[in-house]
Amino acid sequence: MQFRDLDLAEDAFSAACEAALREEAPIRDPAAWAFVAARRRALDVLRKAAREARALSARPEADDMGDVIAFPDPIPDDRLRLLFTCCHPALAPEARIALALRVICGVSVGRIARAFLATESATYQRITRAKAKIRAARIPFETPPPSEWGVRVGAVLETLETALGIAYRNAAGEGETEGLAHEVERLAALLAELMPDEAEAHGLASLVLLVRSREGARVDGNGTMVPLSQQDVALWDARRIEAGRTALDRATALRNPGPLQTLAAIHLAHAMRWRTGRTDWIAVLRLYDMLLAMRPTPVVAINRAVALSRAHPPEEGLAALDALDAERLADFLPFHAARADLLVLAGRREDARAAYEAALALAPEAAEARFLAAQLAALPD
Amino acid sequence: MQYMLLIHEDESAYAGENGGAVMEATLAGHMKLMEELGAAGVAFSGERLREAHTATTIRYENGGEGTLHDGPFAETHEELGGFYLIEAKDHDEAVRWARMIPIPGNGAVEVRPVWQE
Repeated sequence: MQFRDLDLAEDAFSAACEAALREEAPIRDPAAWAFVAARRRALDVLRKAAREARALSARPEADDMGDVIAFPDPIPDDRLRLLFTCCHPALAPEARIALALRVICGVSVGRIARAFLATESATYQRITRAKAKIRAARIPFETPPPSEWGVRVGAVLETLETALGIAYRNAAGEGETEGLAHEVERLAALLAELMPDEAEAHGLASLVLLVRSREGARVDGNGTMVPLSQQDVALWDARRIEAGRTALDRATALRNPGPLQTLAAIHLAHAMRWRTGRTDWIAVLRLYDMLLAMRPTPVVAINRAVALSRAHPPEEGLAALDALDAERLADFLPFHAARADLLVLAGRREDARAAYEAALALAPEAAEARFLAAQLAALPD
Repeated sequence: MQYMLLIHEDESAYAGENGGAVMEATLAGHMKLMEELGAAGVAFSGERLREAHTATTIRYENGGEGTLHDGPFAETHEELGGFYLIEAKDHDEAVRWARMIPIPGNGAVEVRPVWQE
């Protein structure tokens, strides 16, 4: 299996990008080109976001014809209209996912309930209420007008990304959550197909494929979670990695970077361990720098700190974690788990012990709990 | 179909040194909205309400007689300051009009469909 290298990527970019790539990316891998091309566009993204924010807060014109954002003829596909309707921001986020799965994918209420770790009747009620609101408030079954396109597409992407997170909340990927991942993959592919000019839609499709590519390696025979950097690459799905690469190519060719594409590039950088035998933590770190600028959330900051501790001395990663608001994150499991990991790397065993205990006290799901407990037990006294 | 647009705003935005200017700007915003509603041929009505402290609330617990209380229903930072009742073809159109309601500082606009036969 040959991975296409930068040569193919360069076809998709202008001459200016090519020159920058040759100069600045001594490591020729997809993560590097995605990073460099996107870095050049990062300012554009921020400017565009500011413009869009202003456009959204401006009064809507009674006549839409004067809108700045040109976009193709309305897509008559019912599935796209359904997706927009099910993912309308006027509906609660969990209701959106449940509705999309039920209405578009035809997933049974029972399976949706199990994926949410909810009862069947609660899920049924949630779906029914969402449908009732659509009816009572007369939420239209339409693709949105240009003035609302950005917000509405964002809502669809957010819904699917949340669904992906739910699918992997349980790292062991029990039967039901595996089914959910499959449906999310289908929906993401559908969205990319129906919105070929939306870079973030391709970014999401890429992300889902790359996350799924590691399904076979996520949990070992004892039901213990295996962290990404320790997974056996032979258990990774090369076909999905390649498909994820292709989707990201399509995204970056549209020259409109965003958080989902950046996340996909991070996962692709990790996937390169399949080919090179090592993780390019510097590329990963740079991508997290970009992602943090787009999404300044604790989760991203924590993951960036972990990358920092691998690319540079672990104390730097710890300093980055210490810079976060520990009080706000007191009940946030990933914070403690990451701290524990970095404290071990830094040789601070007692502090690592306390951090593992704090993480375990927050009741992680089974596979991760086994992993954390094993790490704790492995600490020398 | 009719929608009620309920305006929740922080009355303190209209108090203090700058209060007069804020009020003028807000009223101008409402005038503009009403002009545009009129120009678009949208049937609507609306009122500005007196300050929340002028309200009296009749509270019921498990039905019964109901007791009078001084003040508005909700004890929050924002108060119900007014409403519009508009005719709109669907939810999203109602929201588009609702977004035009000027809210100085903190507040909210609730969009509620009106029961219809």
